[in-house]
Amino acid sequence: MNRLTEYGIIIFTWITGIIIIGAVGVLLSFLLYKGIPALNPSMIFGETGSLDALLLRKAVVDGLFPAIAGTILLIITSIIWAIPVGVASGIYLAEYCNIRWKPLFNFLLDVLAGIPSILVGLFGFAISIFLHRHLSEHIYPCFLISSLALACLVLPYIIRTTEQSLGNLPFSIKTTGLALGASRLQNTLFILIPYNFSSIISGIILAIGRCAEDTAVIMLTGVVAMAGIPTSVLSQYEAIPFYIFYISSDYNSQEELMRGFGASIILLGICVFLFTLSNILKRKVAIRFATHT
Amino acid sequence: MRPFIEKCAEKGLLLSALLSASITIFILSFMLLFSLPLFREGKIVEFLRLGWNPYDGKFGVLPMVVGTVIIASFAIFIATPFGIGCSALISVFSQRSFGRFLRKLVEFMTGIPTVIYSFVAIFLLVPLVREIFQEGTGMCVLSASIILALLVLPTIVLFLTDAFNSVPKNYLNAAEALGATPVQKLIYVIIPSAWKGIISGLVLAAGRAAGDTMISLMIAGNALQIPRGLSGAARTLTSHIALIIASDYESPEFKSIFVCGLILFVFTMLIVLILRLLGYFEILRER
Amino acid sequence: MKIKLKITLLISIFTFLVAGNSLGIAGDLDPFLSVKGTLRIAGGTAHIPVMKEAAKRIMYMNRDIKITIAGGGSGVGIKQAGEGLVDIGNTGRKATDDEIKRYGLKMFKFAIDGIAVVVNPENPVASMKKTEIMDIFSGKLDNWKALGWKDRATNVYTRDASSGTRKVFWKKALKKGEITKTANFVKSHGAMKSAISVDPYGIGYISVGYLDNTVAPVSLDGISPTLENVRKGNYNIARGLYMNTKGEPSGLTRLFIDYILSKEGQKLVTEKGFIAVKQ
Repeated sequence: MNRLTEYGIIIFTWITGIIIIGAVGVLLSFLLYKGIPALNPSMIFGETGSLDALLLRKAVVDGLFPAIAGTILLIITSIIWAIPVGVASGIYLAEYCNIRWKPLFNFLLDVLAGIPSILVGLFGFAISIFLHRHLSEHIYPCFLISSLALACLVLPYIIRTTEQSLGNLPFSIKTTGLALGASRLQNTLFILIPYNFSSIISGIILAIGRCAEDTAVIMLTGVVAMAGIPTSVLSQYEAIPFYIFYISSDYNSQEELMRGFGASIILLGICVFLFTLSNILKRKVAIRFATHT
Repeated sequence: MRPFIEKCAEKGLLLSALLSASITIFILSFMLLFSLPLFREGKIVEFLRLGWNPYDGKFGVLPMVVGTVIIASFAIFIATPFGIGCSALISVFSQRSFGRFLRKLVEFMTGIPTVIYSFVAIFLLVPLVREIFQEGTGMCVLSASIILALLVLPTIVLFLTDAFNSVPKNYLNAAEALGATPVQKLIYVIIPSAWKGIISGLVLAAGRAAGDTMISLMIAGNALQIPRGLSGAARTLTSHIALIIASDYESPEFKSIFVCGLILFVFTMLIVLILRLLGYFEILRER
Repeated sequence: MKIKLKITLLISIFTFLVAGNSLGIAGDLDPFLSVKGTLRIAGGTAHIPVMKEAAKRIMYMNRDIKITIAGGGSGVGIKQAGEGLVDIGNTGRKATDDEIKRYGLKMFKFAIDGIAVVVNPENPVASMKKTEIMDIFSGKLDNWKALGWKDRATNVYTRDASSGTRKVFWKKALKKGEITKTANFVKSHGAMKSAISVDPYGIGYISVGYLDNTVAPVSLDGISPTLENVRKGNYNIARGLYMNTKGEPSGLTRLFIDYILSKEGQKLVTEKGFIAVKQ
């Protein structure tokens, strides 16, 4: 391989790196340029005073507050479903699973992880129709269905991180407790999990981030353009990513568009913060284990 | 007392795992359940045909399947050189300064929500593409593919970087001892031995690209046709589902989206099988 | 003394009447003060500005009332109202007899509206023949050159199958002709408007009430799509905006419909750019 080709290749890789950095830079600066001027309390609260809105004394109609509240409530509810099932499944797969069944479990969970988000949303929608027809006339796509569907979406993240973290423990850690007479369950619950806590938490944080940003699932299971703060689990609600989607094509005025940019910055901020936190925790764990056998 | 609680707890763990695994099966069954009427009526062949025109009673989803394939493939086509280039930069050519920064940037990119990509693209990329082509609305296959490539790039780069880094050190040392330059190491040692990881990363990214909804919904124009070229608008299976969901509950139109769901499910299964064959999951579990 | 008393009485009565009328804002909304509950509205996207403003006023007055508004198009409005998923389904077309019978729908017309063909403000073409419109939308005429402008392809935008606006436009303007397969689909009025406003070579159709200076209306056969022309009947691509309920409305739903049909509600309708049905 002659010198020229070699230099060509090196230059090529540098160019790709620079282009990517440029693309991300353009994206961020555009967003900030357009969005920062819009960041003020009226973007969030509209014409209602902030205290009135926060204490739920008055409804907010022109602002992002309902969407922000909707997203936060959605995240909390989905996580409540997903964490117990996810961590428990992860523990089972790492510690108790029969070698014979493992490939089947793994296959099913990998398919679940790879399913497009809209398919999960379609599933949630199908469930709501099913319940509507067979259970009660009052059930239709709503907050509850959305949070269940989102939980299904993020379950693989939690299961995988839990399973991996438990599986990657150094042998010495795994067996010390057992050697001292603890039962398998005691060992897992009281020794292994606390040891691995940051890793499991990083998986949970990743799941939270995914809940915050997902649009396709909620679009099919109950989010609407205007609904105020959800008062019951069977009601419809608003959410930030859907607001951005809706505003991007349906804006009626420049200020609505500006609100869209403001919402983008908020969403970007939330997600980036969560993902970075998750990565930091993952790194902390990796460093710790680098010194063990 | 203790053993009893233990037994219960273990059963509880088993139950959770069964629940999680069965979600996949539930999804499949619901798709089948809702598309069953169509299978029964023998209309299924019609669905795999061309032409979607509810007023005429035509419900072919073929244009959407083609749209998905074209947009996803083109996105991977764009993203691969960039992915290989960036990974090479990060793990071979610039392991200290620029490479580390690039890696941090790519990790940062994984956190950017999809809606944000498409939202910004509507205002920045679409007018640009419209001017370049001098025709069309700018909402076309090219725009969607470019943004989709940006979306899946972090997946490719992070995967490839890991694959490059897990080449056994003695291979690299041997090459260096023989006087290889970094480029020669890359081309002759790293890429050949990491090819499985590279292909896995690309397949994973392709799966992600085909399954994405928001970008194709907002940027690809949603026209009901097989795109005539890069500047033609197209519709993907995913955006089709999103668009139709607002319709009737009874009409064949509506039932067709469950067929789309079925197609997507089968597609995901295929991707998972391919990745298994490539040993992707072995690599993942090792890490 | 007596005269002074009479005059004072007269003045106070007069003031009372005037004050009462200017608090007329509160007047039409008063019935909402003592109710509580949730009202679900979905359907046509042209109706949304009116619905949103009314909802805003009601929710400000009484925080125990919640009104949710979704879009989706006229088809969604009928379907969801019929299935009982929403209380009011908005449509931009009359419900068909079949739909009325199937669901037992009651229709309430609250505005009259026209559908205008729109192009981008940069586009100098301001008047077209009906036949040209049909050819553009079917794809036969696919270049602005033929209409006297630049040599660029026409970008047709259309709405999805659920849209009442689309159905009326297809029936009345396109005479049930085809819409080209290359047309870009947009999901709502707002989406159509923003699409056309950023695409110099685009052409689409929106409600006359939605027109503003970000898009340019096109006259058909010399008649421009203004509210006057719609009212007089000159511009015949017109339709009513309806609220539909399953069976007779009651409670909060009835109050809302009454409000939209009240003086203040109709004033709101005209403010948003439509023609009121009741003066």
